[in-house]
Amino acid sequence: MSESSSLVGPAATVTEGRAFLTAVWAIVWKDLRIEQHTRQTISVMVMFSVVTVVMFNFALEANLDAARNVATGLLWATILLAGTLGLNRSLAIERENQTIDALLMAPIHRNAIYIGKVISITLFTLALEAILVLLFIVFFDKPLWRPVVLLVLVLGTIGYVAAGVIVTSMTIQTRSREVLLPVLLLPLSLPLVLPAATAVATYMFPQLPAWGEVQSAVYIVIIYDLLMLTAGFLTYHFVVES
Amino acid sequence: MMISPRLDKSVRIFNWAAAISIFIALLIVFFYAPVEKTMGNVQRIFYFHVGSAWVGAVAFFVALAAGILYLRNNNRKWDTLALASVEIGLVFLTMATVAGSVWGKPAWNTWWLWSPRLTLITVAWLTYAAYFMLRGAIEDEERRGRFAAVYVIVAFVTIIMAYLSVRILRDIHPVVVGGTMESAQGASEGLQEFSGLDSAKMGITLMASTTAFSFLYVAWLLNRIRLQQLADAVKDLKIQVTTRLQGEHA
Repeated sequence: MSESSSLVGPAATVTEGRAFLTAVWAIVWKDLRIEQHTRQTISVMVMFSVVTVVMFNFALEANLDAARNVATGLLWATILLAGTLGLNRSLAIERENQTIDALLMAPIHRNAIYIGKVISITLFTLALEAILVLLFIVFFDKPLWRPVVLLVLVLGTIGYVAAGVIVTSMTIQTRSREVLLPVLLLPLSLPLVLPAATAVATYMFPQLPAWGEVQSAVYIVIIYDLLMLTAGFLTYHFVVES
Repeated sequence: MMISPRLDKSVRIFNWAAAISIFIALLIVFFYAPVEKTMGNVQRIFYFHVGSAWVGAVAFFVALAAGILYLRNNNRKWDTLALASVEIGLVFLTMATVAGSVWGKPAWNTWWLWSPRLTLITVAWLTYAAYFMLRGAIEDEERRGRFAAVYVIVAFVTIIMAYLSVRILRDIHPVVVGGTMESAQGASEGLQEFSGLDSAKMGITLMASTTAFSFLYVAWLLNRIRLQQLADAVKDLKIQVTTRLQGEHA
């Protein structure tokens, strides 16, 4: 940003845009490398999810029919809860190691940090979802591999993490820390999860439904994603200042 | 600085305006508004239900605007305004929900349904209730104001989503303002018993009750701001007393 300020017009915009993308990529790459070495975030999320699924099976008294009917809701509930773990982990590491201060001192746009974090945590959550989808196909025998289902999972995860990075960046700076996150984030993400879960549930029958049946639900998910990313873009630098 | 005399005066004016307009609205609702054809007298709940829901939405919008203004110029009065507006918005939202539930019993034969609209209103209620948890967890005043302002902006997304979703998804709950094809389709399928206003008198009554609730909102808002200013003044006085006492001892 500082070197390109001497340029004017479209050339400056292009250079700044490229610098922004480079910064985003650097942050995503950094997070993936940390995860590659420590394997803390994804493994915690996966373990937690498996325990949750087993626990729910126990609650449903191994009644497979009942479990099948609630499978999509269970899938989303598990993703949301495991997601709070991933968000807390990934953003708390930055605080513990004080790397967030280094990131803030770097001559990059604050929103590059936001987008980088959203992308890396979305990737972690998608990795978890890949495993969960496999498990659910095995446990509940539901056609979760259908492209529209996977599309809704990806879109839903983006919106959830976009809201999550903003909220978690605030909660880790408060007194109650981890306790506060689900209380703030879960209600905030329900307008996204409800249509997403409805859309996934529509695809759980043997015959393929028409696109028109889920169209409006998918649009609502996309609108939520755009609104949350915009809100995050506009407010992120206010929550990381100290 | 204590309370400005101008605020004191507006508090008094709006207290009276709210009391009188609520009384007039009650008279209009019970004696002027006609009896609805299919639902009978129960439909009179409509004027309270829609009036309070409408004012609740306005309150959250005011909180959003105050949040944006706080982030822009860091003035404490915007934080106070946002806090007051969220509190009162929650009260109005609760009033609308209770009134709707009382109406739901005769209309749908149940107090509660998990239809998209009712679900999303519950979600919005929870989101704004969590606002106070966030405030309570932060000690530093400047940071509390900043985070609360960010949260109130993010939380408004749930209001937008509730507004959009009920106009996109099919629902048993009628859409009175800006209804679309899906809700009209729901009505024609007999999903909704009550499809809106069928006489000009009803429109006038709705206007009267909404105006009365708006006066009530402003009155509560001013009272709440006054209360917050008094609390802040007390805090300042305490600090002054403490520093003076410490000075005497030293």
